Amino acid sequence: MRRFDYFRPKSLKEALELKKTIAGAKFISGGTDLIVQIKNRELKPSALISLRFIPELATIEINGGARIGALVTISDILQHPELGHNYPVLTEAAKSLGSVQIRNVATIGGNLCNCSPCADMALPLLVLEAKVRLQSAKASREVPISKFFKGPGESCLASNEILTDILLNPPHNKAKATFLKKGRVKVDLAIASLALLLEMEGGICRKARIAAGSVAPIPLRLSKVETLLEGAAVSEDLVSKAQHLARETVSPITDVRATEKYRRQIVGVYVKRGLEKILGQSLA
Amino acid sequence: MKTEISFILNGLEVDVTVDGHLRLIDVLRNMMSLTGTKEGCGKGECGACTVIVDGRAVNSCLYPANEIEGKSVTTIEGLQMPEHKLSKIQQAFVDHGGIQCGFCTPGMIMSAKALLDSNPNPSDKEIREALQGNLCRCTGYVQIVEAVKRAARQLKSKQ
Ligand SMILES: Cc1cc2nc3c(=O)[nH]c(=O)nc-3n(C[C@H](O)[C@H](O)[C@H](O)COP(=O)(O)OP(=O)(O)OC[C@H]3O[C@@H](n4cnc5c(N)ncnc54)[C@H](O)[C@@H]3O)c2cc1C
Ligand code: FES
Ligand code: FES
Repeated sequence: MRRFDYFRPKSLKEALELKKTIAGAKFISGGTDLIVQIKNRELKPSALISLRFIPELATIEINGGARIGALVTISDILQHPELGHNYPVLTEAAKSLGSVQIRNVATIGGNLCNCSPCADMALPLLVLEAKVRLQSAKASREVPISKFFKGPGESCLASNEILTDILLNPPHNKAKATFLKKGRVKVDLAIASLALLLEMEGGICRKARIAAGSVAPIPLRLSKVETLLEGAAVSEDLVSKAQHLARETVSPITDVRATEKYRRQIVGVYVKRGLEKILGQSLA
Repeated sequence: MKTEISFILNGLEVDVTVDGHLRLIDVLRNMMSLTGTKEGCGKGECGACTVIVDGRAVNSCLYPANEIEGKSVTTIEGLQMPEHKLSKIQQAFVDHGGIQCGFCTPGMIMSAKALLDSNPNPSDKEIREALQGNLCRCTGYVQIVEAVKRAARQLKSKQ
């Protein structure tokens, strides 16, 4: 592999300082995206600055809502009893990410910062309306996750910022959410994926949040479909309109995994399956 | 830039000096001559390079050598019993045809070990999930799952 230097700062301050002084340096968390990109010669960093030796980044705190440190691994999320109990949609997505070996080192922060349209953890966080905390040497800011992604590999993160935490609202006990993912085989990036959160009251949809992966340049909230569902009774007719609208809203590409047409089709199917799963009834 | 790192390798404390770009698999194979750990894809897809770090199975091809500072690493060589005998898991792979060409085997066995260490009584589904990150081009997996089941039974009866 191409040569680079490796730094292991013990504090955020030191990490941000190093980033400022070393031209061409990149942060590394689990490295499961980054090392592959270096190996594929898509990236040629002069140095890697590891975030793995900064203890406060790797903690989970339940505080009414929850704070998940950016360096928390996917396996840590699966092993945390309260997180899974309060936000089952997060565990559903975590279970679908990669293999055991990948989940043991891949971090939630790395999954977001890599900014792939297929990032599995982005979808539950989008429907849970999470915020991310970004820290530079001078300031810290909170950004809604729906404003974080800008394009494939691009986010609103500045080069002198570190994603430190993911912040979740208190669990919403009336709402239910679910996650669906289509891959070629079990351990694979999504061909298409969808997270759906629904709050129902007397047969009427009070709140809908839908996010889809691998069907647009970013993990995408399907706001138009949400608006269509909210305030309405979930009938077969409405569901078929929602499916149609979802297929129209996304802008997938054709690549090695699937065609554009197939991805569009799956999004429609998943809107219906997600609703069926949450409502516990068939919407033939 | 070279860094000195200390870690525990198969139960023994070791110190090595590594370049920034080296991966754990480079340290194991090229510096420690532990060539039981194999490199298949080098991209986290095949699992041939699986080793156990602090109780968790990881791909050593994606693991920066610098990150093993202070950690405990177990490789396939660490499973050897006194008098060059095979461990129960290794023997079960041999007995059940879970090993054919053998290239995937060290990684398979390390994934199986990580599973059995944390879950001594896994279901077929749990075994298949634990081995999802390990590809085998020869066996068709059925014999491997059988071998892991047999090893689980034998490890339990030993206790
Ligand atoms: C075999 C295989 C299977 C995979 N399967 C899946 C899958 O099913 N679903 C899926 O979504 N992904 C999958 N991935 C991709 C990858 O494992 C995940 O995206 C993972 O969560 C990335 O996290 P990481 O900690 O390894 O990130 P890294 O590789 O360390 O970092 C990724 C990027 O984010 C930046 N970065 C990391 N942390 C921070 C931070 N805190 N602040 C600022 N910048 C940061 C890095 O500079 C880098 O550019 C797979 C990868 C492999 C190799
Ligand atoms: S060589 Fe590491 S996963 Fe294939
Ligand atoms: S035995 Fe040949 S690859 Fe598994």
